Amino acid sequence: MVNTKDLEAHFEFECKACENGRCAKADVNSILSERKGLRDFYEAFKEHIKGCKRMTYGQYQFVIDREVLPEAVLWWHNHPEFKETHLSTAVGTDERPLNGHFVYMPFLNVQVEFANEPENYWVFLRTYLLADDPSFPSVAEKLPAALWIEREVKDLLGFKPVNHPDPRRLILPEDWPEGVYPLRKDMDYRHSPITEPKVEFKEKPEDTTLVPMGPAHMGIEEPAHFRLFVKGEEIVDVDYRGFYSHRGIEKTGEGRLTYNQVLFLAERICGICGYQHSVSYAMAVERLADVDIPDRARYIRTLLLELERIHNHLLWVGIAAHMVGYDTGFMHAWRIREPVMWLVERLTGNRKQYGMNIVGGVRRDILDYRKEEILKVVKQIREGTKTFLDVALNTNTFIKRAEGVGILPYKVAKAYSVLGPTARASGRKIDVRKDQAVKTATAYNEIDFKVPVYKEGDVLARVLVRMDELFESLWMVEQLIDQMPGGDIMVPIGKLPEYEEALGFTEAHRGEVVHYVMTGEKNKVYRWKVRAPTYNNLPAVPEMLKGYHVADAPLIIASIDPCYSCTERVQFVDVNTGKVKVLTEAEFNELSIKYKGVF
Amino acid sequence: MAESASYTEKLKRWDRFKAEKFSKKAPVTTPYPFIDIEKPPEYRGIPHINPEKCIGCGACVNACPPDALIMEWDKEHGVKRLTYNAARCIRCARCIEVCPTGAMEPTTRFEVATDNKEDLVEVVEHKLAYCEECGEYLDFTERQIEYVRNILPKDVFDAYALEDRIKLTQEEKMRRTVIKLRETEGNVYPAFMLVRETKDDGGEE
Ligand code: SF4
Ligand code: SF4
Repeated sequence: MVNTKDLEAHFEFECKACENGRCAKADVNSILSERKGLRDFYEAFKEHIKGCKRMTYGQYQFVIDREVLPEAVLWWHNHPEFKETHLSTAVGTDERPLNGHFVYMPFLNVQVEFANEPENYWVFLRTYLLADDPSFPSVAEKLPAALWIEREVKDLLGFKPVNHPDPRRLILPEDWPEGVYPLRKDMDYRHSPITEPKVEFKEKPEDTTLVPMGPAHMGIEEPAHFRLFVKGEEIVDVDYRGFYSHRGIEKTGEGRLTYNQVLFLAERICGICGYQHSVSYAMAVERLADVDIPDRARYIRTLLLELERIHNHLLWVGIAAHMVGYDTGFMHAWRIREPVMWLVERLTGNRKQYGMNIVGGVRRDILDYRKEEILKVVKQIREGTKTFLDVALNTNTFIKRAEGVGILPYKVAKAYSVLGPTARASGRKIDVRKDQAVKTATAYNEIDFKVPVYKEGDVLARVLVRMDELFESLWMVEQLIDQMPGGDIMVPIGKLPEYEEALGFTEAHRGEVVHYVMTGEKNKVYRWKVRAPTYNNLPAVPEMLKGYHVADAPLIIASIDPCYSCTERVQFVDVNTGKVKVLTEAEFNELSIKYKGVF
Repeated sequence: MAESASYTEKLKRWDRFKAEKFSKKAPVTTPYPFIDIEKPPEYRGIPHINPEKCIGCGACVNACPPDALIMEWDKEHGVKRLTYNAARCIRCARCIEVCPTGAMEPTTRFEVATDNKEDLVEVVEHKLAYCEECGEYLDFTERQIEYVRNILPKDVFDAYALEDRIKLTQEEKMRRTVIKLRETEGNVYPAFMLVRETKDDGGEE
């Protein structure tokens, strides 16, 4: 491996933004003294730090040598004082057109103290990799949270994590040729080569039987393939293969679209937490453009985020009830949920995919007379949910299946950087809404709410955490309506600065969503990286499954609320003969390439 | 009376349970698709291009995130074609926001399932304006020029002598500028114009 020191990248200390706006003069000493921990890190890795800057409020970046990457990540992750610090994710960028190098950049959510917004921060560890040898020492060897992240950059950019414990394919399909890396800049987004499929599954351990689950499983409405290795009824080991619905959204967003167009694409990443993605992305771009969005827009955004959380938790508790065979609960939960959908349909124009955001604010105002309607729905939901919980939590079918099942110990949750309600049910006290400075895009800093935390870590705890959160959300909606300020709902954004980076984040119902945006020329996006919470939660599922029964598996998997996406099937019916012809894989591929652009 | 109510009034009055036309009202579920479902007036359905209002400016094409709107030039036949494809549309209503003439009209239509793909496509063709001098087609439609005529104040028109120049190709405009400069200021024009001018002259004569 070649040392980063040999690289000729241009390293200088620079500062991009001050706490009070932009300034070009702040020196490294004042940056390092802004937050706790920064200077210690600098002292510990002095020889290997090539640069440091503040990207934007509460987001710091160090340029470090790649050979100390594992130590640096672990230094933060295992920090003795900042207990809940976790590896959020990593961005791999092809910066060869800019400076001739690849960039691999893990970043961590540093929690100095819970709910201390002005003290907590994000730290980005940027490393430059050689264009002809993009290898770096694997962090995953010591930290399971990096397992998927490194497999992803290996797939999409061709980086080489040295000593990675499980270097199989993660994202690319089995029939994608070796050596073609979709996220490199020299590849066109329409290019989609195919070769013979090559399947890599984990070896079956001795004396076990394989129980395949998925890719299409009627319990988890998502194409995910779990391979359970069982001894009798007990699950001993698990293999996971997913990413069947990878759509290459990041690639589409880079280069072709303008920053406002990407926003609508971002909203369509998920059918359930779309607005969270939309707000995160908008927040990142607003940070880059350095604008303050109007208060009213922040309140409207927060209101919709919380309404989204309410209907989502109700949806989830319905699914959980369905999984344990308590279908009455399922029906009732969804009945209670429906008025929220109706309400947002009238507030935004659609049940889902609200389309309410624009970079710089929101697109529709909330008319004053609507407030009554919102409060009416909130009241209805609160009563409905209370009754529902009274019944559900006194139903043995439900409790017996959920209690003590799928336990995720705190240590494992932390090692995998598990997020959201799943983490809070295992005793991790984290919530980006309170922890990090979300105040530029949302109004969480001005309203009062509690973050429920449970220690048990089983499925029941995950139910309870979510239900507590739901009541908090109802209370938040009431406050937001009460305090909603008047004024404008958006500010126009001018030109974006070129080649700057920022992070946008929100706490979705499943955990923290992060959108990393690096701008390019002419108001385009150079790199857009999205990480949904399930990305961090799913790798921990095999750990939750081990030791439990096969019958519990669907419930345990569903208990992290995995992002549901749709399986697609193409069937051709010949109208004349009425014969159904199911396409083979090759025919299907051929067709989809032929009709690309038609749909 | 109902007709004269303001839009906000209409919004206020709309009630899901009154609007949905099924005789036996169920509190939650609806026997869709056996009944018509009426969407609330706020619903963002697929847009519709009003060919009478559209001027072919292409603002909607630039804003559309998934390329559901496409603009094509057919200079041979003097046509500019705006195509809308509902199959690609994500119903974000960006086009409605940016359209300068209100030709993009919002609807509350949400059912686009069909057995004929052509049902999903709307095409609006515009006549391109042509150069008064050489007869070549311009990039703009006649309606665009008309629209500019209507919205620009007269003094702007006069200041830039737009009335004479609006219907000319880029090359023709340049040539005229040079000729004018030569007339008014003698031979003082920049070198690059001089070169172009001599080349043009040589080619024509
Ligand atoms: S923006 Fe409006 S006027 Fe312009 S092309 Fe589109 S529909 Fe026509
Ligand atoms: S609604 Fe959105 S997707 Fe549909 S045509 Fe208009 S801009 Fe394009």
